[in-house]
Amino acid sequence: MPNVSRILKIGAIVLLAVAVLAFPGVAPNPYILSAGVLVLNYAVLSTSWNFVGGFTGYISLGHGALAGLGAYGTGLLVAKGGLPPFLALFLSAAIVAALAVPIGFAALRVRGASFVIVSISLVLILLLVFQSWASVTGGSRGLVVPRPFDLSRPEHHRVFYYLFAALLAAALVAWWLIDRSRFGLGLKSIREDEDKAEALGTATFTYKLIVFVVSAAFTALAGGMYALWFGDLDPVFQFSILTGSYLVLMALLGGVRQLFGPVAGAIIVGVALEYFKVEYGDTPLHLVATGLLLALVVLFMPDGILPAVGDLLKRFDRSQRSSIREVSAAELREQRLKEQAGTETGGKGTGDDGTGRTAMTEAGGTTR
Amino acid sequence: MPTTSSHARFPMKFLAASMILTLGACSGGGGGDEGGGSDDPIVIGISLPLTGDFSEPGKGVQQGYEAWAKVVNDKGGLLGRQVELKILDDQSNADRVVADYEQLIGKDQVDLVFGPFSTRLVVPSARVAEEYDMLFVEPAGAAKEVFEQGFKNLFYAAPAVANDHYNYLAEKILAMPADQRPKTAAYAAMDDPFAQGTAYGLKEKLEAGGVRTVVDEVYPPNTTDFSGIAAKITDSKADVLVGGSQYQDGVNLIVALQQLGYQPKLAAFSTAPTNPEFASAIGNKTAGVLSPTGYSQDAKYPSNTEFVEKYTAQFGKAPEEDQANGYTTGQVVAAAVTAAGCAEQGDCQQKLIDWLRTNTVETVVGPLSWDDTGKPKGAHMIQQWVGGDIKIVLPEDVKEAEFSYPKPAW
Amino acid sequence: MPSGALLFQSVILGLLLGGLYALLASGLTLYFGIMRVVMIAHSAFLILAAYLAWYLHESVGLDPLLSMIGTVPLFFAAGVGLQRALLTRLRPATLTMMSVLLTFAIALLIEGLLGYAFTGTQRRINLGYSSAGLELFGARIAVVKLIAFGLAAVALTTLYLLLKRTKFGWALRATIQHRDAARLLGIDTDRVAGFGFGIGLATAAIGGTALSLDTTIYPSLHWHWIGPLMAIIVVGGLGSVPGAAIAAMILGLAQSLLQIPLGTTWAQTVFYVALFATLAFRPQGFFGGRLAQRF
Repeated sequence: MPNVSRILKIGAIVLLAVAVLAFPGVAPNPYILSAGVLVLNYAVLSTSWNFVGGFTGYISLGHGALAGLGAYGTGLLVAKGGLPPFLALFLSAAIVAALAVPIGFAALRVRGASFVIVSISLVLILLLVFQSWASVTGGSRGLVVPRPFDLSRPEHHRVFYYLFAALLAAALVAWWLIDRSRFGLGLKSIREDEDKAEALGTATFTYKLIVFVVSAAFTALAGGMYALWFGDLDPVFQFSILTGSYLVLMALLGGVRQLFGPVAGAIIVGVALEYFKVEYGDTPLHLVATGLLLALVVLFMPDGILPAVGDLLKRFDRSQRSSIREVSAAELREQRLKEQAGTETGGKGTGDDGTGRTAMTEAGGTTR
Repeated sequence: MPTTSSHARFPMKFLAASMILTLGACSGGGGGDEGGGSDDPIVIGISLPLTGDFSEPGKGVQQGYEAWAKVVNDKGGLLGRQVELKILDDQSNADRVVADYEQLIGKDQVDLVFGPFSTRLVVPSARVAEEYDMLFVEPAGAAKEVFEQGFKNLFYAAPAVANDHYNYLAEKILAMPADQRPKTAAYAAMDDPFAQGTAYGLKEKLEAGGVRTVVDEVYPPNTTDFSGIAAKITDSKADVLVGGSQYQDGVNLIVALQQLGYQPKLAAFSTAPTNPEFASAIGNKTAGVLSPTGYSQDAKYPSNTEFVEKYTAQFGKAPEEDQANGYTTGQVVAAAVTAAGCAEQGDCQQKLIDWLRTNTVETVVGPLSWDDTGKPKGAHMIQQWVGGDIKIVLPEDVKEAEFSYPKPAW
Repeated sequence: MPSGALLFQSVILGLLLGGLYALLASGLTLYFGIMRVVMIAHSAFLILAAYLAWYLHESVGLDPLLSMIGTVPLFFAAGVGLQRALLTRLRPATLTMMSVLLTFAIALLIEGLLGYAFTGTQRRINLGYSSAGLELFGARIAVVKLIAFGLAAVALTTLYLLLKRTKFGWALRATIQHRDAARLLGIDTDRVAGFGFGIGLATAAIGGTALSLDTTIYPSLHWHWIGPLMAIIVVGGLGSVPGAAIAAMILGLAQSLLQIPLGTTWAQTVFYVALFATLAFRPQGFFGGRLAQRF
């Protein structure tokens, strides 16, 4: 069984890769290609978001700000610092990763509510700073990032399509590696029950901080790549709460526990956004649609569409196990036994059967 | 060992396929003609902010474009072909405006493009047009930054750039006898290249002429509470008040200043005072407010008489500056198309650009010609609210009323 | 150095602004106290109320103050409905995170529908007394701002009396302090929580009306408000109504005074600086109780 499953899985990944790489060839015109670049950009961003959201369960609405920082960092290093574009891109990502340490330090010391508040505030304060600090950032006049290659516009799109695809592959591989590692295990224990994880000796704060920095670095890379591709930066659009919310929607819709969840979400939401723009471009109905979709996902599908569809498929396939969450718990236990981690949380059920207990700890915890 | 991601395989395949299908399907519709054919309409692609921060002036420009298309089509079209506008909404968003022009030029294969509204959106969209080698005549990117980007395809279809809007007013003030001339000035400008450009253009000239700057405030476009800025200005007791405003911010600032009882000797605001809603919005306390304008309904240019008449018949009211800017854009492109004898993507666009570079076009705002950066070589008139009506007071040769200084109390 | 008159004027403006912040932040902190919910849509409801006031004024000439007769009960009902029908459906374990997303979605819905109904054009109510002002020791106070502050003060006092002097207030505070224990004492905590949400939204209705008196409104304005409000409730200590009110007055005053040397945009950053400083040095907030510690 595992062998067949693995072959199928690899086959699916190869197929996906082929589909992604073949897209520029079949895209009928440059506009569709540019929409494809945008969707890939979303896919990288939401996958990067999922380092924090998926592993630790901390929902950040502020990743738009990290992408904006990466974009402005790259743009400023190229336009004002005169660095070569791709050196600027990586340098900017490194700077954002360094900045993520103090940001994470303030944001991750607190749980839940405050973390969300900090993440939203990050977007709002950076918007103010980048608007006001016009002598450096260009303020509302915007920042023009020189083109890295001298190409016609369709060619420019094509090159960046592949660059984004490569970045996506790197982000996916990084996520996959963490997912399989002990580090990932520790992170997931934070998601399931932070208090217990801490009590059992996991260095929860350090874990959270490290994964936040990794997430920030990938987000900044995506933002910087966007800057090189798009060429015009404006604080209002770079530091927008809406961007952050799109990323959350994409990841949740696809499924935060899945490697390909955010990618699936990005494709659905990205295509839907383009569709709404083309069909209902002259109304703010895209906001209504985004709001409705987000509410529906939160209320009825908090695990995302991939597990939901997976469950549906499994109804027709009795040979597989019944619930995605059981699989993940079993997997946790299996890995834990294998690695002799010495902690005892493995036996704790995740998901629905665990909710009651977590809820009580949370309610009870308020009185401590 | 089954992993969670293995369950993704089926949906992923569907999604990858559906992405291609959906995106591909988008390109199927949206009738672009293949150019060339002499009976096909000339399709003109436009992206405008019909929702969002700039939706108000965006709609004005749209009406100007529509009025122009109707006038042209009623006369039998351009080069014997009917004109068809394809207008998309960019939600006042730079990402959108780029995607819009990408769609219009790359997918819909429009023959010509017109510009969007607001400097913020003009620069990114002009780059798209440039990289597709399209002529880009725009009605609203008046800030000087637009002309510093090295665009070779851009022309601004209005008499003057933002920094030159107050030229006549600056001359007038500096020509006053030294004992009457204002001593101090307060500036408040929206953080927007156009709005700041107007205020700072005047500021530079007044400072050079010895008028001291006592307040210099910049506020973000989403500001709604102006009481802090108003308090500073009131406290400074500046003689001259200059507002680099769009519309609503100008109204809010004036109301906040009136709440504090501030009475300047001269008050000039860009854009806001020429809006038909302005007087009622500030409770008719308009006395003496100045504003630069590039357009007058009463101007004697031949095409203007026709524009005012046809526009009023079509929309039931007289056109304002935004509408005139849209209409002017149409006139400029039409002149180039008629002279070059073509209107399609490809080599034709360069012919259009070359022609405009060296010729003068008669428009509803007067004759227009451009320098190498696409900057128009003209100046704006100055209007003033006199007894419940806004009248041209500068320059002297076209004035409808006397310039009044110090202005009456509002 | 700014003149004394300007300082005094700014202090007055800051206090007037702080009053409005206090009212709005108290609603926000109430939700948090009751259910650990960060209600992102609070300011969207605020703008909705302002739009309703504007619309009634435009279409039937109703004075904005009278529109509260309709909007306050309506919003109260909406708050109860929101809590009972939507928030209670979320899994308790992830309630805080998911409720943020849910209320975020509601905010987007409201913004989108407002934009659809009234377009993105900025709106402002023109009242006969819009530009009138009163003289006070050399400072001038706009009549509309005074009315707005009065509204906020009355609403806050009412809220305070309701919480401190009534049986319902007692039950509500018990629910906030310890939900399980409150239930053991025979308090119908679900009902109380629903009513608490209703009261929170009712404050948004009053605040929105106050807002519509003096400023321009547009659909996306709520983002402009939610940031400062969230900062206020953290600085004040999550869940503490008096803490939120005090923090609101102090930060409103600080914003107004900082505008003199820094200008409008930089002055707004005071909220976020205060927020980050609070989290770095005193995560439980400056005036709040122990509730805040863990969130």
